[in-house]
Amino acid sequence: MASVSVNVDGLANSEDWEGRYFHVDQILDRPGPRTDPSFLAGDKVKDFLRNKCKILVIGAGGLGCEILANLALTGFKDIHVIDMDTIDISNLNRQFLFRPADVGKPKAIVAAEYVMKRVRGVKVTPYFGKIQDKDVDYYMQFNLVICGLDSVEARRWINATLVNLVDTENPESLKPLIDGGTEGFKGQARVVLPTITSCYECSLDMLNKPTAFPICTIANTPRLPEHCIEWASVLEWPRIHGEKKLDTDDPEHITWLYAAAAARAKEFNIEGVTYSLTHGVVKSIIPAIASTNAIIAASCCNEAFKIATSSAAYLNNYFMLIGTEGIYSYTFEHEKRKDCPVCGGELLEISISHETTVEQLIEMLTERQTIQIKKPSLTTSTKHIYLQGPPQLEQATRPNLEKKVSELVEEGDPVNVTASTLPFTLELVIKYT
Amino acid sequence: MLKILSMKKNEDAAAKKKPKTSAAQIRVQKDLTELDLPPTMKTHFPDATNLLNFTLTITPDEGMYQGGAFNFSFNINSNYPHEPPKVKCLQTIYHPNVDLEGNVCLNILREDWKPVLNLNSVMVGLQYLFLEPNADDPLNKEAAEELRKNREQFLYNVKSSMRGANIKGVHYDKVLEH
Amino acid sequence: MASQDIESATTALQVQPDNKARRYDRQLRLWAATGQSALESSRVLVLSGSATSTSILKNLVLPGIGHFTILDHATTSHADAGNNFFLEGFESVGKPRASEAVRLLRELNDSVDGHADTRHLRSVIESDPDWLASFTVVIAHNLDSQILVKLSSLLWEHPSHPTLIVVRSAGFLAEFFIQVHEHTIIESHSETLPSLRIDKPFPALKEHALSLDLASMDPTEHSHIPYVVILVRVLEDWKKSHGGNPPKTYSERQEFKKSVLALKVKPDEENFDEAEAQAYRCWTETTVPPGIASLFDDPAISPEALRESPSSFFHLLAALKKFTEQSETHTLPLTSTLPDMKADTANYIHLQKLYKTRAEEEKHAFKSHLRAPVDDATINLFVKNAHALHVIRGARWDTLDHTSLANALTENPKAACLHLSLSALSAVREQSPGSPISAEALRKQVRTVVGDEVELPECLDDFVGEIVRAPSAELQTTAAFLGGMVAQETIKIITKQYVPVRGYCTIDLIETWTAVIGS
Repeated sequence: MASVSVNVDGLANSEDWEGRYFHVDQILDRPGPRTDPSFLAGDKVKDFLRNKCKILVIGAGGLGCEILANLALTGFKDIHVIDMDTIDISNLNRQFLFRPADVGKPKAIVAAEYVMKRVRGVKVTPYFGKIQDKDVDYYMQFNLVICGLDSVEARRWINATLVNLVDTENPESLKPLIDGGTEGFKGQARVVLPTITSCYECSLDMLNKPTAFPICTIANTPRLPEHCIEWASVLEWPRIHGEKKLDTDDPEHITWLYAAAAARAKEFNIEGVTYSLTHGVVKSIIPAIASTNAIIAASCCNEAFKIATSSAAYLNNYFMLIGTEGIYSYTFEHEKRKDCPVCGGELLEISISHETTVEQLIEMLTERQTIQIKKPSLTTSTKHIYLQGPPQLEQATRPNLEKKVSELVEEGDPVNVTASTLPFTLELVIKYT
Repeated sequence: MLKILSMKKNEDAAAKKKPKTSAAQIRVQKDLTELDLPPTMKTHFPDATNLLNFTLTITPDEGMYQGGAFNFSFNINSNYPHEPPKVKCLQTIYHPNVDLEGNVCLNILREDWKPVLNLNSVMVGLQYLFLEPNADDPLNKEAAEELRKNREQFLYNVKSSMRGANIKGVHYDKVLEH
Repeated sequence: MASQDIESATTALQVQPDNKARRYDRQLRLWAATGQSALESSRVLVLSGSATSTSILKNLVLPGIGHFTILDHATTSHADAGNNFFLEGFESVGKPRASEAVRLLRELNDSVDGHADTRHLRSVIESDPDWLASFTVVIAHNLDSQILVKLSSLLWEHPSHPTLIVVRSAGFLAEFFIQVHEHTIIESHSETLPSLRIDKPFPALKEHALSLDLASMDPTEHSHIPYVVILVRVLEDWKKSHGGNPPKTYSERQEFKKSVLALKVKPDEENFDEAEAQAYRCWTETTVPPGIASLFDDPAISPEALRESPSSFFHLLAALKKFTEQSETHTLPLTSTLPDMKADTANYIHLQKLYKTRAEEEKHAFKSHLRAPVDDATINLFVKNAHALHVIRGARWDTLDHTSLANALTENPKAACLHLSLSALSAVREQSPGSPISAEALRKQVRTVVGDEVELPECLDDFVGEIVRAPSAELQTTAAFLGGMVAQETIKIITKQYVPVRGYCTIDLIETWTAVIGS
């Protein structure tokens, strides 16, 4: 066995002991019958996994805690984790890297420290903040990204960011995104190869839409306890408290809403308003348990391992699990949407002279037989080049028609083209000749 | 690593990458530039570079609210069109389906919103409220009650409220079009 | 309500949940206090402190089972230290695996009691079978076949013995089987809603529907009649002109829907649109659902069996059977839960009251058939879930019999081959302990099990090959996946809520699928 040297602080250093990888090496030392021929069994793949591969975990909550522990034991050694939340007591029934004494501390930092303490030789770099704080260069450094989030908005953001990162000239720019999600006994895991397979935005319509009650029901004809609670939070809170924002994590705020909702329910003879229901409705609480998170996180990490090592085929591309009645799962290929606003759409490279005006560019576009475009509107991420409407914006951008495109758009700066005749968006990449 | 990725590095690729526009932003651009509004509706952008916050003015040319100019604020967040735009009436108006805080009872703004709908559908829906106020599912109960029980009185109240009057202790904003 | 009233009401209420309720909030929303208290009084025994075993336990300690024991005589090896999160890496090497794991698992939840036992399972089976029988659930991971046979027979001896969950894994492949005796479920959390009995309205509902003067009603009132009332009314009117029959043919049903819409006084009356959409309820006869009707033939509710039976479930089931036989409508007791529908408060609450009153009366009638003392809370739950009860009578753990195997091989060849390969691994290990696992040996063993007649699918080689590649590999991700799956089923068994899986649940983490065979 290899020696285990001890540092002055008493911690074993990162040197691996013999037999540490006994289990996973059985997979990495030889291919299986279904393994792709590109698999480099033995030292090469181990070296990549343990010394070169850099992986990003988004979310250090229910899924994130599980993901971090799994990755560390699987042999990933350079792990980064982002989470903007702090630990709440209600996390402790499943987020197993946290203890009661950690309540109030940043999840990312506590989780990273715990995993590093338990699995020696693994580096977990936490970031306590928002994914939106980080720029393109930050995301470029990773080989893979695993997402364990509960927010649609954050998922859409990271998905779009990774899709936009793809540069066909640079294979390194394609970062597989593995996304997991759970709700009670149900969950799903999926693999997104940005621009190649269906992305998160492609499947947005598969999501359950958030429950919303008609505002007139809430205001006048409540029937359910939920209607009374929504009345308290949507109508009564702003009426009484004005600009003071409702904080759904503040027990005093919830108690106020509960009292208001309970009084209203009494007035209307409605039964069933409780503190717990009030909390659940105003915070849109989704039930969550350790076991479902374990299944989905394991599935995500398993895909990360297979993709990073090529040791076995990976999920193509969606795994859905329903555990309420027996165990039902469904593995299928979710299809890429042609008109997906993130990964669909088309890219058109166009060469124009420095002297070409915006009006001339628009004319060139409308004359292209291949794209069938009428009345296009053009913007970049920072400015409006020309908008066909509404009238105020058309007028405001009309002077641009006579300007040279080169004055408004830098080379390589993507231009978004929308038009009623285009079901998808068109992205122009302009080259000046 | 998965074979679609080559192992070789390309260091300057990152530098070439430019920030892109969000899916919500592009969708709003598409919605707004393709608006098909009658002359009774006009949008106004306080900041012409910001498509996510603007107002809509409705000036009904028929019905009980003819002669008024009603302003609504539109606030669109980055989760559009997964979430509907937030719309509020900016004036205190006498209308069965608009409360004194400016909340509007329109199904597609809440329970019936779906991403295939767009800003045009919302605007057309708002205009419809002025042509056909609905007394059965009200937000302003007094106004609805009046519309149901005494249409004449309701009409009178609408007209005077639009000139800026007090009705049952509530002051309504003057909303007459000039 | 004035704001100061709310403020004073707030201070008067001692409503905020205690620490325990807050800690368990996200799971209490699934299985409520009853499920939680079942978990808290459960005792789980896990045989071995493998990565899979500790992964399972982690997901049971977190939600708060009462007690767990790890029975494992092994000391921590270098390999164990590398793949188990509940060992402290190299520092645990050489120490008893069970004690190390128990110590670290207990850190997850102060209220859970954990115990390490380093005896050999073989000797415990012989010397201390009562101790084994004292647990709620016993979980065995990668146990040798021979001892597994002994264990499963022991735990199968008596219906009160614990449920046994047999788990196997190698590399990316895994399966598990639940050996459960009789398992009854009241709260299955079914997504099917009970009937509102629109086709067989109770007298007060019918009377209410017929009393409405639709023609001269205030238009606002008219647009807030709940669809249930509209349908009862239209159906009664229809029956009068159709010899007492509901709409039968397609064209009659279309005509019925038209007559619903024809009652609108304004085009935007959404309650009438809702009534049209729900009109199928008028010609879908409310009967005892087939799943429940079949329970009425259960031998456990024969008078002789009940005389011996301490189970309140079967007494309740017997009462339910009597109730449905004697009720005029031959249906289950009426639900007291009215779904939301377009209506104003007064109309809705009135209708809700009608349902509640009637449901209460029927519950009373149901209780009169009950021949054993059962607490009210259980009766309420039972009546509320009467449309979705389950009785599971599991089988003893064993390899699949020939018929089930043949079925599985045609219906789901991949899952069948996965199961056969894992079973073969266990058998081959036992036949020649310590020697390397070869594909030939595994294939030969599979052949022995299925017989010479059966044609084996080509995919068998995929699974056999994968096992030869990694016969003793316990991958962290496979362990964690199983940890979640097995814990989830254990929770269902302990809480008697939700429905556990039956048969072999097979798992392939290469293509990432799960499939159940032999159910």
